[in-house]
Amino acid sequence: MALPNPNLTQRSHAALENDVLQGALKRATDTFIERRREAITSVADWEALRQRARLVKEHTINHLDYYLEQLVTRVEAHGGKVFWARTGEDVSKYIIDLARVRGVKSVVKGKSMATEEIELNHALEAAGVRSVETDLGEYIIQLAHEKPSHIIVPAIHKTRAQIADLFEEKLREGRPNEVAEITAMARRRLRNEFLSAEMGITGANFAIAETGSIVLVENEGNIRLSTQVPKIHVAVVGIEKVIPRFDDLSVFLRLLPRSGTGQKQTAYVSFLNGARQPKTESGFEFHLVLMDNGRTRILADEQMRESLYCIRCGACLNVCPVYQKIGGQAYGWIYPGPIGAVISPQLQSLKQSGDLPFASSLCGACRDACPVAINLPDMLLALRAKAKESDIGSRPAERAAMRGVAFVARHPKLFALSGSLMRVFARLLVRDGRIKSAPLSPLSDWTNYRDLPAPGGPSFRKRWKQKDMK
Amino acid sequence: MSAITEASQSSVLDVVRRALGRRNTLSPAPLEPFVEPVIRIEVRELVERFIDEATAVRAQVRRVPDNHKLVEKIVEISAAQPGEVAMSGAELFREIDLPGELAAHGLSTFIANQPDHEQLVATLANCSVGVTAADFAIAETGTIVLSSDEPNALLVSLLPPVHIALVRSEQMIGTIDEAIRKTGGEKVGRTDPTRSVTMVTGPSRTSDVELVLSIGVHGPKELHVIILE
Repeated sequence: MALPNPNLTQRSHAALENDVLQGALKRATDTFIERRREAITSVADWEALRQRARLVKEHTINHLDYYLEQLVTRVEAHGGKVFWARTGEDVSKYIIDLARVRGVKSVVKGKSMATEEIELNHALEAAGVRSVETDLGEYIIQLAHEKPSHIIVPAIHKTRAQIADLFEEKLREGRPNEVAEITAMARRRLRNEFLSAEMGITGANFAIAETGSIVLVENEGNIRLSTQVPKIHVAVVGIEKVIPRFDDLSVFLRLLPRSGTGQKQTAYVSFLNGARQPKTESGFEFHLVLMDNGRTRILADEQMRESLYCIRCGACLNVCPVYQKIGGQAYGWIYPGPIGAVISPQLQSLKQSGDLPFASSLCGACRDACPVAINLPDMLLALRAKAKESDIGSRPAERAAMRGVAFVARHPKLFALSGSLMRVFARLLVRDGRIKSAPLSPLSDWTNYRDLPAPGGPSFRKRWKQKDMK
Repeated sequence: MSAITEASQSSVLDVVRRALGRRNTLSPAPLEPFVEPVIRIEVRELVERFIDEATAVRAQVRRVPDNHKLVEKIVEISAAQPGEVAMSGAELFREIDLPGELAAHGLSTFIANQPDHEQLVATLANCSVGVTAADFAIAETGTIVLSSDEPNALLVSLLPPVHIALVRSEQMIGTIDEAIRKTGGEKVGRTDPTRSVTMVTGPSRTSDVELVLSIGVHGPKELHVIILE
């Protein structure tokens, strides 16, 4: 995939210089953090729920073969069709073939990270099938030909004025000035799309093995319309979305809305079971597309396996000090924030996005916010090691420097000497009690953004010796 | 459908098994159930909690003592709207002669029990009000639960801009945990595999533009819940 701005550092610089984006990010992440904080106080024991959800995910992922087989059996028993897709191209090809056979000219889409991941809209458009995103945020992004910047609110980087301009230009119905007018305009336009589309495509938040049910969580009602108005419903679902039993859902339905939007419950939660109403009428179809697209690669790596526990709530984005400053688009692909830095290099390749795990302070806020307690910092570290071990992240100068450090650290006298020399050198750079600029990279890379305090009094080693003498 | 279909069918599961380090699928011992203690709360308290929660998410809730008042409320809400009033195929509406009462007040009605899907959708899209009877309601989140047991309730509650849902106070339950066990254990996917369920909490909403709450994106702009006590 060609990116307009292929380097993470450059993309981050662009984001930092964009004042509009900075304002939007601050408002969004502050608001979400506050709403989540308040929402989790409305359950008795948040930690118990997290640990239970983690246990369910761990159990399911470790027995993914069993639960997928069960899911498929149930869905087929309900009259649904199941298609296994190894790759994104397999998914697109299946849906395009289906559209051709059924004479589908236009498709309405619910927000789905799985279909974003495989760029399904592009494939459909290229095949001559009109595909319209119906979630308001996704609709805005599609009109602007951009990529989402947040898992939950895809157009969070845009202001209402920018959206008003966009609607005025693309929809040609005047300029909607208020948020309510933007919403009303989208409702009018998209209502016609729902009524004329022959196929609805969604993802799924959960797929229940025991019953073959697909569970969809939303606020707008566009997913209800996409699944219930057109006669053909296709759900594109990553293989990691399965959970064992219907009763396992309650934990997740408490965790997901509170973590994602800070709601106790979203406006709509739909439980769909295969093709609808076969008794009253024929012609309804349900297709479940189970997508691998790199997930089995993660599954095979025991250290990284838990990145498949993610329920895509976006909580780790909001609390991440890096995401808060650079936003979603700087991550270069559709999964931003800590979870993006973990799964993008695995779903794509280290070569494509192996720089992402380095964009983290490893503070652990993401792990604390995660509703399934995914150990994101440990996986970021592991991915850094992988990138460094491969030829991708490795820089010869850095390697040489690290070998030098290792040598010095193994020789106490040399270590003491180098410490003294560094103190002398550092004192030369002190201005007004702080080191504000260094002459050379990589030291200047640090001081470009932050000051270093001046070295204090005598060194620790010297003081330790003096203590012994007393 | 094509050549890739056959090849992929077996291969994904094979790859999953290989990734898990085995050749054949392993049946796990099921996880111990995680059941939250059911707190027995009086119906009156559940109703009050429901009203608080539903109101907080901008549903409009009213309590009525009998069928007569119930019909009166539906007429009152419907009369404020310009167009036709749709209702699901619920028995209750025939019992209380809702179509007759609405007609008596000069309101035109549509009973959503016709089999043709396209026609049904087209008609409902032009109605102003949709009336349904909920299966039950969840107090802790102010949620009503609708299902396809009630003919076309899922579409009637979705396409018109105003949705009126009826629920009897004895249908009130406490928590989402109870609701899931009630929904899954008793019905979905077991006794009737084609049954669909939607939980509704407040009117349709979005915060996609600058995180400003906006009501009535694609689903109803107004949700009225009438509790029959």
